Amino acid sequence: MSLEAREVSRRFGGVVAVAGVSLSLQPGEVHGLIGPNGSGKTTLLNLLSGYYTIDEGSILLQNRDITRASVQSRARNGIARTFQTPKLLPAMTVLDNAMLGGWPDVRAGFIGTALSGPRSRREEAAIRLRATDMLHGVGLGSVLNRRADLLEHTAQRFLEIARALTMRPTFVLLDEPAGGLTVAEIEKLGAIIGVMRETGIGVLLVEHHTDFVFRVSDRVTTLNLGRTIAHGTPQSVRNDPEVIRVYLGA
Amino acid sequence: MTRLLPLLAFAALVIILPFLSPNLYYLHVATMIGVYWVLIATLNLLVGFTGQLSVGHVGLLAVGAYAFCLLVGSSGWDPFLAMLAGGVLCALLGLLLGLPSLRLPGFYFAMVTLAFGLIVSELALAEQWLTNGSVGMAAPDFPPPFASPAGFYWLVTGIAAFITWLTWNLSRFMWGRAMVALRDSTVAAQSVAVPIYRTKLIVFVFSGLTAGIAGALYATSQSYITPDAFIVNLGIYFFVSIVIGGRGVIIGPFIGAAVLAAIPELVGPLAKYASFFYGVVLLIVVLALPGGFNDLVRAVSERFGRTPDVKTAIEPDLDKLRTAIRQAHRT
Repeated sequence: MSLEAREVSRRFGGVVAVAGVSLSLQPGEVHGLIGPNGSGKTTLLNLLSGYYTIDEGSILLQNRDITRASVQSRARNGIARTFQTPKLLPAMTVLDNAMLGGWPDVRAGFIGTALSGPRSRREEAAIRLRATDMLHGVGLGSVLNRRADLLEHTAQRFLEIARALTMRPTFVLLDEPAGGLTVAEIEKLGAIIGVMRETGIGVLLVEHHTDFVFRVSDRVTTLNLGRTIAHGTPQSVRNDPEVIRVYLGA
Repeated sequence: MTRLLPLLAFAALVIILPFLSPNLYYLHVATMIGVYWVLIATLNLLVGFTGQLSVGHVGLLAVGAYAFCLLVGSSGWDPFLAMLAGGVLCALLGLLLGLPSLRLPGFYFAMVTLAFGLIVSELALAEQWLTNGSVGMAAPDFPPPFASPAGFYWLVTGIAAFITWLTWNLSRFMWGRAMVALRDSTVAAQSVAVPIYRTKLIVFVFSGLTAGIAGALYATSQSYITPDAFIVNLGIYFFVSIVIGGRGVIIGPFIGAAVLAAIPELVGPLAKYASFFYGVVLLIVVLALPGGFNDLVRAVSERFGRTPDVKTAIEPDLDKLRTAIRQAHRT
């Protein structure tokens, strides 16, 4: 039961963005991924979620090779993610946006839905309930019917998390979720990540706020120039001389 | 219930219109609005919801119209069967057009549909053995009780209402969110497992189906069809109707359809300038109401209805979240 990258590499033209990195994510753990700008963190996340094709290496989900699987098939198999800049449907409501995460569960076809068939109505009700619960859970219960583009930045980030959770994922990949958040808001984000971990979701946390990462992660991997330079408990990575030299500073 | 009232009032008005208006001419205009609506309602799913810009639906309208006239006129089919057959034919054409072009960025799809519209209108002119060329052909009527102007009007409005119901269902359930996701963010759509290509194709095929049905109704409403009736401008007007109405709302383009049907009639002696007036309306809408008339309605209703925006702090409810996630994973 894990999501695994084995010796994966990805080049963009002549630039090697990720060079032979291995990483595993277990359900119920928070795995922090840190490193300087351009170290390949987001590229690795895109390789795991399928947005980039892989040059070398393989990606495994519960020991099944998904290296060539589409983004959609990975999403259906329990890999959810958020984005550095939230990708929402601006003209739709907060609830509609979260409900979009219910799509992998939709079995009602186009024709059945057009005819308002019982299955489409049943699925709609179930997904609505689930998305509403998730939104209340992340603290957006009071703005269910607001247009997504009228939300503040932090609320947009939390909405993306609610959408990801509505997918009932086994793994959630968070791409800089604390970006632009205040200290108090980062605390709330940490609490939400804590609940995800508690409920058995594996969280990959790509972040620049290193204090935050060290505090909420079970394991931390540090990348530099596309390679892993340190891996282990927050404590050991924080004290790693190489990590201090290239990233954390003295 | 209060939201349903205007709808019921409108429905009642639509149904009793033939009794209110003894003037057959107005009834004809109302029928034309319905005919256009049959096409525009689903084109709106494609353009307004899914964000795929088709400007060549007039080609599908033409195929549906000619198929209807040929099947009923030369082959003696039942008009209703012929209408459905035309719809199915246009759905298949939509599939053929969409298969190569919907994989490409939106611009190419628009070009393919434009080319299709042009080709169909040229073929209708050139292939005289089939279409009688510029002479055109007579369009059959539907059998009684749909043969009279009022009967045909009720038939058109019945079909239009049914199709409105279909599109409304599609828009309010999960498929509607998937379509809007394709329009607003393919990246987000992918991340929640919406199949991009297949979904676009399904919507296009559906819009082809009703465009073919609209073609049959269009032919009957005109009594006689020639290639002139299917110039590419008409396809662009369909597209413009959606812009005028405001995309992403099921009823929005209705006003566009009404303008499209009414302008040539309203300007009367200036009918040859109908295109000009249509352009002016478009220009005004795009400059003054970039979101279409729908935006105006929303702005007004927000002004009078909504509570002012209050900045709310985000307070996660962790117990609730825990329960919600556990429950979600159990089912």
